[in-house]
Amino acid sequence: MKTIDIFGYAFSAIKLRKLRAALTILGVVIGIAAIVALLSITQGLQASITNQLQQGLSTNTLIVTPGVSALGQATSGSGGGAGGRGINLGGSSTSNSGFNLYVNYTDQINALSPDIEGSFAVIQRSGYVEAGGVNRSVTIYGVDFNQYAKQYSKTFVAASGTIPLNPADSETVVGTRVNNPGQNGTLLFSAGDNIGIVWSNATTLPVVNETYTAQVSAVLQKIGGFGIGGPSDTGVYIPLSKAESFFGTDQCDMIIVQLKSSDNATITNVSKAITDYFGGQVSVISSTAVLSLLSTVFSTVQLFLGGIAAISLLVAGIGIMNIMIVSLIERTREIGILKALGMKSRTVLTIFLGESVIIGLIGAVIGIVLGWILASVTARVLASGAFGGGGFRITPLLTPEVVLGALAFGVGVSVIFALYPAWRASKLKPVEALRYE
Amino acid sequence: MVPIVEAVNVKKTYMLGKVPVEALRGVDLKVETGDFVSILGPSGSGKSTMLNLIGALDKPTAGTLLIDGVDISKLNDNQLADLRRRIGFVFQFFNLIPRLTARDNVELSMSISDTGRAQRRKRAEELLETVGLKDRINHKPAELSGGQQQRVAIARALANNPRFLLLDEPTGNIDSKTASEVIRLIKKLNVENNVSIIMVTHDQHLAREAKRTAQMFDGQIISEVVNQE
Repeated sequence: MKTIDIFGYAFSAIKLRKLRAALTILGVVIGIAAIVALLSITQGLQASITNQLQQGLSTNTLIVTPGVSALGQATSGSGGGAGGRGINLGGSSTSNSGFNLYVNYTDQINALSPDIEGSFAVIQRSGYVEAGGVNRSVTIYGVDFNQYAKQYSKTFVAASGTIPLNPADSETVVGTRVNNPGQNGTLLFSAGDNIGIVWSNATTLPVVNETYTAQVSAVLQKIGGFGIGGPSDTGVYIPLSKAESFFGTDQCDMIIVQLKSSDNATITNVSKAITDYFGGQVSVISSTAVLSLLSTVFSTVQLFLGGIAAISLLVAGIGIMNIMIVSLIERTREIGILKALGMKSRTVLTIFLGESVIIGLIGAVIGIVLGWILASVTARVLASGAFGGGGFRITPLLTPEVVLGALAFGVGVSVIFALYPAWRASKLKPVEALRYE
Repeated sequence: MVPIVEAVNVKKTYMLGKVPVEALRGVDLKVETGDFVSILGPSGSGKSTMLNLIGALDKPTAGTLLIDGVDISKLNDNQLADLRRRIGFVFQFFNLIPRLTARDNVELSMSISDTGRAQRRKRAEELLETVGLKDRINHKPAELSGGQQQRVAIARALANNPRFLLLDEPTGNIDSKTASEVIRLIKKLNVENNVSIIMVTHDQHLAREAKRTAQMFDGQIISEVVNQE
């Protein structure tokens, strides 16, 4: 029997029981739609986070932090992997091993390799600003404005006011969400105004709130997202020298190293040189390492979510098997007739598998479309800020791999679960099948 | 020409649970091309078993059964299926596929034997015209009377130019008036189109319509008579 005739016959059998076929297909649709929606949202999320990271973290940059982190180890190639400590990037924490980075280490780092363009220290504390009677939690960064502006020339840019390259101690630059928290035009203060900068000093007890008044020289333009070490919308930037006196320390939280080239060999060599120099007491994070870790994390998340969705497809598969067995029993006599007319067993098998292919294919196609719609709607709901957080923009990604994979998976599951009923149908003895009432 | 059926001492034993049942106990039968033979017997005489064997749906336990010159006990399932394409089966309960139209039912047996679409369409229409159902081509079995359904079944059986028609109680499920029409059609096919016919029935009057009658009883053919016109 010709393939087209087999499929024609299979299709006529499906058409006969429209509701039953529709319900069976619905099972596949739900499974595939769940997979496609979850994957395209996570892939879109990954793309958007990667994109934002790349903006905030130029590829020719290394970030040196005290202590050992999973990323640092990955970068320095000393093995071990995730030590359960995660990325040690923020806060006022000092390293557990007692090792500290100091502001003046930049000179020593600069001398380590000819591939290093320069480096600068960042002191970072959680604190808040007081302005217009409102307290607003922020991260206070002590940086060299000149170097910082050079390094982050795309993001450390004033929307209003001017960033002073040789700032007085009382000058400050703030991110856009500091003076405009709702991003709705209600400004707490503007460039030129004075604000109070507060830091809760917990190094001695009782905790003392240290405050000083600073003049806002500039408000940054919107950055969006997040950059490791780079400028952020909730950041308050004060001169490094002021930070040292205000926080009462010359320890820094990270040293940002600019490289002359962003190729992998340079990143690896310089990372190793720095790690070795500090006796393995620092983590050197490169954007490539962050991105590759991120990609690993997202692969795991995708696998996990995809796996959950796949379970629903498995349930659909069991539904297909169930319905096929019912259909097989109902059509026992028909199979007997077909065999009496000279149809071979393998053709009977192919007809039943053909029915499952049709069901799987229709289900997968509808599922992909539905999944895509679902992902788009979800992305829109997230972007509208319905769940707070001011909205997070994701563009769901539907890659050809996901489409083809979903098609193959939908059809594959249908066929696999149809194998047993199809095999049983093909093995029916014509005499007994014809006698079946 | 090779006889269409040649049975020598054919035996068939079934297991009914754990009890062996001897359905055929040494049957001898020879049917030549162009013949019209009826196999007559009461229920339990083994005629259904004989029908299944001649229809290549089953294999004998012992003895030799040649269908169109082929010893069927030596065939595997695929070869049996191929052989069945040369046999035109007509069943008591018509056994049309309910969801297909008359034409599609006739076409089905041709599509099973790989006939091209255009050709089988044309032949299906010709055959339905032959059996007098030209105006019922697009009707489904449920929209046809018993006699009409049986004529569709005969058209289907003829579709692959079979070596012979094998009829199982062809009028058993239709009223006597339409039955005589079907019988007239069968005889016409035998006489005018030289189609060989083997008919299995328990109906003595029907059996006498054939050229010859083989009387079965208790798993054996006990007599063969030539019927008078």
